[in-house]
Amino acid sequence: MAKYAMAINLDRCQGCRACMEACKIENNTPQAVFWMYVFRTETGEFPDTKMSFMPRPCQHCNNPPCVKVCPVGARFRRGDGIVLTDADRCIGCRYCEVACPYGVNYYNWRTPTEAFAAYDVDFTDPEVEAVTGGVIPPYKNPDLDRPQGDEQRMTAGSAHSVGVMEKCTFCVHRVEKGLEPACAEVCPVHAIHFGDVEDPEGPLSTYLRERAGFQLLEELGTDPSVYYVGGGPPTAETREIERPLTEVQR
Amino acid sequence: MTTETMTTKRELPQGIGRLSTGWIAFFAAMVAVTVVGLYAYFQQLGNGLIVTGLRDLGTGGGATWGLYVAYYVYFIGVSFAGITVAALIRIFKIEKLEPVARMGELLTVVSLILGALAILADLEHPWRAIVNLFEFGRPQSPFFGTFSMVIAGYLFASLVYLYVTSRRDAARLALQPSRFQGLYRFLAAGYEDTPEQRRIDRRATFWLAIAILPLLVIAHSTVGFVFGLQVGRPGWFGSLQAPGFVVLAGVSGIGNLIMLAAIVRWATKTEKRITVDAFAWLAKLLLGLLLVYLYFTAVEILTITYQASAAEQVLSDALLKGTYAWIFWGAIVSLVAAAVLLTWKALTRRWTIAAAVAAGILVNIGAVAKRYLIVVPSQTHGQLLPYPIGSYTPNWVEFAVVFGLFSLGAIMIGVFMKVFPIVPLEEAEQ
Repeated sequence: MAKYAMAINLDRCQGCRACMEACKIENNTPQAVFWMYVFRTETGEFPDTKMSFMPRPCQHCNNPPCVKVCPVGARFRRGDGIVLTDADRCIGCRYCEVACPYGVNYYNWRTPTEAFAAYDVDFTDPEVEAVTGGVIPPYKNPDLDRPQGDEQRMTAGSAHSVGVMEKCTFCVHRVEKGLEPACAEVCPVHAIHFGDVEDPEGPLSTYLRERAGFQLLEELGTDPSVYYVGGGPPTAETREIERPLTEVQR
Repeated sequence: MTTETMTTKRELPQGIGRLSTGWIAFFAAMVAVTVVGLYAYFQQLGNGLIVTGLRDLGTGGGATWGLYVAYYVYFIGVSFAGITVAALIRIFKIEKLEPVARMGELLTVVSLILGALAILADLEHPWRAIVNLFEFGRPQSPFFGTFSMVIAGYLFASLVYLYVTSRRDAARLALQPSRFQGLYRFLAAGYEDTPEQRRIDRRATFWLAIAILPLLVIAHSTVGFVFGLQVGRPGWFGSLQAPGFVVLAGVSGIGNLIMLAAIVRWATKTEKRITVDAFAWLAKLLLGLLLVYLYFTAVEILTITYQASAAEQVLSDALLKGTYAWIFWGAIVSLVAAAVLLTWKALTRRWTIAAAVAAGILVNIGAVAKRYLIVVPSQTHGQLLPYPIGSYTPNWVEFAVVFGLFSLGAIMIGVFMKVFPIVPLEEAEQ
């Protein structure tokens, strides 16, 4: 069995956030939900500042704290290393969210219709409806409504149904078809590499072997499947240069 | 027959079955608060948790666990009191505390129910949660302990204990014609208070008490493990969490029991039964637990400040001198004030009910604040990646639901007092 992993080259990342956009379109995520998120940070004091970028998908840990704490086994790790949420089983206790050191979990606080209506687009406007055909969100990925993998569980998370947890799935519905996750495919500078890390001659293994890398918060023992190459982990001095969309969500 | 029941002939003791205007006013007020709480809860059930002040942590800039989880921890903590006191009475034969034993057991049962309801209020799909826990429950999750250990095992054991220790009074009241005679006969279930039955009962409650004490430590520890086993949140991971939870549970529980005993003593006019000595006993127990807890708190503060990691530094700054400082120091001041008051009373040996009640109120203010501080700051200020500092303010929905839970508990205790003697009847013989 393959063991999927991701390598992200921080020296290449230019912070364009195309991966975030691709993820949103591919997975139809509601407003203020970022399965993929790119930190745009700076360190140092003006004028000696340095800017850096760090994409943050779910780390798909090999020793995932979220899986351990889930009281009903809705959060689980597949044999191929992908950590998924079964939307039908999740009871919405949000324990995975507080247990995750990376902050990758998003709870569906509202019903999907409301969640999409929160965008600054009036989907009921006749002119908009003429384009969208009355569907909210205007583009729905049909793959997401299907059960995935050997377990045949509802893990692709398209429902975004109220009261359950969701997060990055490594685009499990694409991986099942032999495709890369949307973020990896769309990256204009090829900073995101996805593949089988247990295939010693595979492109990902070769890529990682040739470069020094690190895992995020290695010291916690979560052993992520996402490896960062180049750059360096964020330090105590690293600060985000912008405030995300939280105020809009509130 | 007790002297109490003899003198009042047909009337049941302790005002059972007679509704005073004061009681009706209290009941109506509590029902009103509960209805407001229910209204808020149905708002939440219909619209999703978006109507609360809770939000995602990380990019969401909020706290995903808030007031509900804090009060769930608090309510489970309060349950400590009753069954501990009751068990201590059985095991060490402390007769002065006998009159407060039953209200303690009742407090345990009621607060466990409230704790369970508080956690269900936190879930969008309470029904799915119950079904899935039965079908897919995973013992590896500390939350599983909450449902199995605390709610199933501990609540069930407490109910059995409350029943077994109440049976004799039911049997005695069943002898007397009253509107609840049928109920008492049903509760007595053939118990006739013969010396043989009494011996069996005494032995059963003794062993039940012995069995409940470890269950209690385990149950309160699992609540501590919910937080103490998580490396991902600064301020949570630590081996002191579980014992700290057990001890603070005792502090808030005994504090609550003192307040309840004072109210019951006044409402049922049982001043002769519930003596100042009983309050002194409870207050001494409270002081002991409180001093242990203050020691734990000192250890904790030193640990998060002495050589803290950068992330812990952010958290301890927020706690000690930042956003949460007023709650933190408020908690410390009220706990220390209670400890000073109790120590002074213990040294002068002049116990008063007012002093015990004041200490009970102070420690409960401290306990609620400490529960809030364990749940919230580690989410808003405990980020290990460069997310912005978050914020969380509980809104009216959460407050309404929590107050509704409190008033529901008051209703349960108030109704119990009107159908059953909350203070055990005096021994007939001896």
